[in-house]
Amino acid sequence: MDNQKNIYKKLLPIAILLLTTTNTFAQKVVRYDLYVKDTLVNFAGKEKRAIAVNGQIPMPTLTFTEGDTAEIHVHNLLKEETSLHWHGLFLPNKEDGVPNLTQMPIKPNTTHIYKFPIIQNGTHWYHSHSGLQEQIGMYGNFVMLKKADDKTFRNGIDDLPTLPIVLSEWTNIKPENIHRMLHNANDYPALKKNSVQSYGEAIKAGHFKTKLKNEWKRMLAMDVSDVYYEKIFMNGKPSSDLKSIDGKELKAGDKVRLRISNGGASSYFWLTYAGGKITVVANDGNDVEPVEVDRLIIAVSETYDIIVTIPAENTAFEFLATTEDRTNSASMYIGNGIKQLQSPQPRLKYFEGMKMMNDMMKMNGDLDDMGMNMSLNQMDMNVVMYPEITGDSKPKQSDNDPNRYNANALADIVTLNYAMLKSPNNTSLPQNAPVKELKFELTGNMNRYVWSLDNKVVSETDKILIKKGENVRIVLYNGSMMRHPMHLHGHDFRLLNGQGENAPLKNIVDIMPMETDTLEFNANVEGDWFFHCHILYHMMSGMGRVFSYENQKPNPLIPNPKLAQRKLFADDRAFHFMAENDFATNGNDGMAMVQGTRWSIGTEWRLGYNDHHGYETETHIGRYIGKMQWLMPFIGFDWRYRKLETDAMGNVHGEKNLFGQTNTKDNRRQFSLGVAYTLPMLVVLQTEIYHDGNLRVQLMREDIPISKRVRASFMVNTDKEYMAGLRYIVNKNIGLTTHYDSDMGLGFGLFLNY
Amino acid sequence: MAITVLLSFTACNAQIKNAKTESVKIYGNCGMCETTIEKAGNKSKVVKVDWNKDTKMAIITYDAKRTTQDEILKRIALSGYDSEKFLAPNDVYAKLPDCCQYERKAQTVAKVETPKTEVKEDHSTHNHSAMTETRQDVSQLKAVFDNYFAVKDALVKTDGNTSSTKAKELLTAINAVKMDKLTTEEHTVWMKVMKDLAFDAEHIADTKDASHQRDHFMPLSENMYALIKVSKTETPTYYQFCPMANDGKGANWLSKENAVKNPYYGSQMLTCGKVVETIK
Repeated sequence: MDNQKNIYKKLLPIAILLLTTTNTFAQKVVRYDLYVKDTLVNFAGKEKRAIAVNGQIPMPTLTFTEGDTAEIHVHNLLKEETSLHWHGLFLPNKEDGVPNLTQMPIKPNTTHIYKFPIIQNGTHWYHSHSGLQEQIGMYGNFVMLKKADDKTFRNGIDDLPTLPIVLSEWTNIKPENIHRMLHNANDYPALKKNSVQSYGEAIKAGHFKTKLKNEWKRMLAMDVSDVYYEKIFMNGKPSSDLKSIDGKELKAGDKVRLRISNGGASSYFWLTYAGGKITVVANDGNDVEPVEVDRLIIAVSETYDIIVTIPAENTAFEFLATTEDRTNSASMYIGNGIKQLQSPQPRLKYFEGMKMMNDMMKMNGDLDDMGMNMSLNQMDMNVVMYPEITGDSKPKQSDNDPNRYNANALADIVTLNYAMLKSPNNTSLPQNAPVKELKFELTGNMNRYVWSLDNKVVSETDKILIKKGENVRIVLYNGSMMRHPMHLHGHDFRLLNGQGENAPLKNIVDIMPMETDTLEFNANVEGDWFFHCHILYHMMSGMGRVFSYENQKPNPLIPNPKLAQRKLFADDRAFHFMAENDFATNGNDGMAMVQGTRWSIGTEWRLGYNDHHGYETETHIGRYIGKMQWLMPFIGFDWRYRKLETDAMGNVHGEKNLFGQTNTKDNRRQFSLGVAYTLPMLVVLQTEIYHDGNLRVQLMREDIPISKRVRASFMVNTDKEYMAGLRYIVNKNIGLTTHYDSDMGLGFGLFLNY
Repeated sequence: MAITVLLSFTACNAQIKNAKTESVKIYGNCGMCETTIEKAGNKSKVVKVDWNKDTKMAIITYDAKRTTQDEILKRIALSGYDSEKFLAPNDVYAKLPDCCQYERKAQTVAKVETPKTEVKEDHSTHNHSAMTETRQDVSQLKAVFDNYFAVKDALVKTDGNTSSTKAKELLTAINAVKMDKLTTEEHTVWMKVMKDLAFDAEHIADTKDASHQRDHFMPLSENMYALIKVSKTETPTYYQFCPMANDGKGANWLSKENAVKNPYYGSQMLTCGKVVETIK
């Protein structure tokens, strides 16, 4: 009886192999069929659209052994185009899965076959590279095992019970809408995360001056991440139990290897474990010398292989992934029995972060690292916000302590940084190859959510040509205020981290504000390879470049390169629409605007309910200038109608402005030229000259955060018009307002915004 | 107007819909525990927790459509209190006031040989050496090494008081080593270094001046290195070197982590140094 069972056990894997593979010569072809289909899910209280592959989210785990040939049939059953990118893989360029760059998109109701040899091993993942599909379910584990006779096989690591985990996030808001809201500086996510950092909250925390200085330096409240997510998942579940692996029950003393990929669209995760230290054994699919830490942060799209131990019997230990902003987490309980919890990461000290940013930011928008030469995540400015490192209240350490941002120096716990990663092998590049050095500054502008390299987005630049055989060295400096996980397709690069010949191989480097990192790779596979920030919304805004090999063969999957390029560029050329209107007792007040990377077209209106209150609209078409986009020259068109008072003789009098110029507001149509400039305190100074010679100077500030939900605004101009208002935010589209307007008087209203 | 409507709204909605009532055990001690447990568990209109400090039983009433018993017990555990399903994080438990330090009957302590000297901290779950129990000889010297590392950590922080107390414990551990249980190799080295170890440990214990302690920490580290080389330890140890210490002559120390934290300079030059050898 037992024997029979054993035979079945032995036969089962063979049967599966037979089902999925066909032997062609000595090479094994492993085939997967993936059916991509729309689905409805209820992950966070509401039924929403998502994309499931073979009926599941995340997509199925694909497993190969080095030496296999992968053959993946993608059946697109969606009503839109799709694609799949094999993240971190070495493959021919046409299999890389970037639509409009390495292939044309997979059209609805068609099948595309990816076929490539597996020439590496390690933990990787795969995801859609089309639009924002990655946010709503198109991510999955991609594991390549070492051959049994591999020389690099590590006993005690490669033979442990293993589980692949892909981390991800879920939001009930449509990703297209998130993208649009980010571009319109909508602070609703901050409200959900309780990170508005308003004046009221600042005063309560004793940080009024900090907030004032922050706005003086023209910064909006910052958070470590931009999007609010309702749920965090490990393999699609916010909480799960790992009681056995491959049918073998886990018990005290067992070591478990977790192959973790961050498939989140925009979230970094802290990884911590209730059962003690975490041993890191690989990063981005490449082995590293084991290093023991208390915690690590996994950047968007990075992978880490870690080993955890179950220290006690009858207990399951919590493995916790917490978003960098600490608003949400996912848990997995490893082991059998009562659940030993890991303490959650405490809330960030936002105003300490704001104070730190104030010190770093120069008045012109550049960052000042104060001579610290930061790199490799060793100094983390954010530690000022971490209560577990710098204590619950104000930081104790002095302002000139060289270690004041070094988490490992300030606390007993060990946090992983890139300098601690060491490859077990010599990773040096070919010695005699010519070297091409490239330098990029990561640039960006939080207020308008424009992200770029050297202040140019993908569509504003040419492909960067490299020669096959040369060693490409890239020096990256992050001059923006957010961290960016920069990802290179098709190659692993060495991250120069002080480990000499044993520099670790990676395909993503997370680079924090003001850091400089150097990476190098040997150009050995022809093609057009994308190099971009892997935060989905940054990539879609154009933060990237394309590396292209000189004199390479044309890609057979791109029959019309010009069309493909235009479609590729369409992503960051997209315009984002916003509109708002205040339905008030004294009139309607509103605006509508479309904005792109550089251009803005907007119309404002004020519509009274009678002729004395008047009706007016102003339309501006402007272009943002400079890295910080504080300056915007524009052309405009005004139309206004207001019935003015008549005197006893029946004459109509125009109004005089501060400059003594008269203007009739009675059916006035004017073209104008003007310029808007954002002053310190985020006040917009707008100077406009009309075609009849009239001049108007206006100061305006909207969305002054008074408290968590209250925003104030004011406007005053040389036409002797003025306005002041308050708005209470009810939800992301509705507000209640009150304002006083020189034309229309006092009013109360219902405010709607999109 | 709006406020009165709001007020009356909350007033008439105080009871819980779809109510389900369960009785569960939650470990705790006193009235203070009761406040914390109930505050952590309660959620207006959704959950009401009533804990009895004598029976250690809680009556939980909750809206079964909006939450689960697990969610409630997890919140309570995160505030420091064990139940049959969840164990509080050790650091949260440790921060409970003295009167609330209840006996953690629900927790299975990791199988670890405790050092022969008194146990100072709650390390109950930190060690991953479930196998040490059989190897008496390892734990013999383990107490010595552990206390050495404690002295080192205190010196990293330039905390003379702590290093003095830790050095006292180190001395106790050194005196407690039973030589007949050591391996031959260990025994040979032990005979050579024992006196010096005790001498330096005593001197570090006798002063609270970190710079004087550091003078003795140099020979102490050298001798520990000799000892750890022949001793078997569960986890790798890193032999590290700072070229600037000892007036530019350089000095070594041992660490459990390969990240450098310099005990000779503390925060002044914390990361100065490098790993020169990994001892396994």
